Amino acid sequence: MTAFQSLKKYLRLWLSFFRASLISDLEFRANFVLRFVADIFWYLAQIIIFESLYRFTDHIGSWNLEQTRVFLGLVFVADGIYMILLHDNLDRMSDKVRKGELDLLLAKPVNSQFMLSLQKVGAVMIGNLCAGTGYLIWALSRSSDFSALRLLWLLVLIPSGILCLYSFRFIISATAMIFTKSENIQYLWYQIYRLGLRPDSIYSPWLRYVVLSLVPVGMIASVPSRALLGEPNLALFAWSVVLSLSFLKLSSIFWKFCLKHYTSASS
Amino acid sequence: MQPSLAALIEVTLWFSIFKSSARAEINGFGINDYLAYVLWATFVARITSNWMYEFRMVEEIESGSINGLLVRPMSFFEYYLSQFMGYKLITTLVSFVVPIVALWIFDLPTQWSRLPIALILVFYHLIFVQSISFIISTLGFQMTKIHSITVAKNLGLWLLSGELVPIDLLPEPWRSHVMDLPFANAVYIPVGYITGRIPFETLQHGFFTNTCGLIVTSFLGWVMWRAGIRKYVGTGA
Repeated sequence: MTAFQSLKKYLRLWLSFFRASLISDLEFRANFVLRFVADIFWYLAQIIIFESLYRFTDHIGSWNLEQTRVFLGLVFVADGIYMILLHDNLDRMSDKVRKGELDLLLAKPVNSQFMLSLQKVGAVMIGNLCAGTGYLIWALSRSSDFSALRLLWLLVLIPSGILCLYSFRFIISATAMIFTKSENIQYLWYQIYRLGLRPDSIYSPWLRYVVLSLVPVGMIASVPSRALLGEPNLALFAWSVVLSLSFLKLSSIFWKFCLKHYTSASS
Repeated sequence: MQPSLAALIEVTLWFSIFKSSARAEINGFGINDYLAYVLWATFVARITSNWMYEFRMVEEIESGSINGLLVRPMSFFEYYLSQFMGYKLITTLVSFVVPIVALWIFDLPTQWSRLPIALILVFYHLIFVQSISFIISTLGFQMTKIHSITVAKNLGLWLLSGELVPIDLLPEPWRSHVMDLPFANAVYIPVGYITGRIPFETLQHGFFTNTCGLIVTSFLGWVMWRAGIRKYVGTGA
């Protein structure tokens, strides 16, 4: 099978996942609406933090309110995409290992990492992605030094950021194969993820280095924001791409390592 | 470890704000006041949130395993309230070690004599928190899947509790409105009182709003429980 045919096959498979997930989500309509509302509360929380703080200061780190709004818009967009494509799957990985559902997935004639990572599509979150995009457009329209051409950078930097986030989260979730019950490691993940929800400019140099390399949560929105708000830092952008591909490869290697140690359900 | 990491992230934010603004005080308080607030807030918020027991209560109703509780000589609410309060008592003892040690080492402003009464408010507020969870769980009698209500409710409380930013930093009239709700008793009022941000009168106001909140949630809970039990047929919702 050529790479193109393989890609076509996986794309068709993902579309089937999407249809099945949408039908399953729409079965519980109140739950569907409430999940949207819950995430809007989360967005509001992030906005309120910074809007309140900027009443008392002109800059946080090196960014002013206009720039931070763009940053938040990008957080919402990247988070929306992540929630649609990956969140439900990675969140339930530990459960799947413990309950033996993983055994069924491993028996299917497709890449197991693909199945585990993309089987459930968070169709509910499409509304949140739209809301986040709306906020980003509003923030950009109020930004004084914005050029529309810079948006092209997002075509590379947002996928890179999400890939970094995915790979790192996947590695953490895959530890369930080794420890079986790894909920507490998952909770820890949410705190690590919060580091990426603040502009990297607020961190001290060593912590900035950590969030832009070892624990790459800073790639989600801080790097794309820099592309929109200032002169392009080509070295940083190239680093973002290299890092995302390296982490993806690392996640694949770690997954194979975990599979070797997997001894079926409740192992 | 989780709240410690959360506190570290918030501490970093406040350091950065003070460094960037080059001010000694924000809204009348210095950096040490904010660091003390953040440290207490992160741990108190962990105590006043309710995820686990609310999920369990919902699960009992959805799956029908509530039948085993209905025949006991104790109400469903009392059964879970006692478990919840016991769990939170242990959590408090364990999780307060970190802020107490950190505050002592870094000599951050805390009025220790105020701690007992602030903790009484926290535990009084827990009854209110559990009452809300009870109301949400009774929705399990009417709806099949209500997991998202818990998430939405907890995020809403997170917004209104003062964990994100001290409520006194919010603009008017939001600040006054939020202070008139019982949710500020989850974080802002007890932590503000311990760290010297608010006077005793505000703490008294907290006890008052919590009592009002309890009256409302008790009535609502009673109505919804009766409606739910009438509909329930003993095989899960």
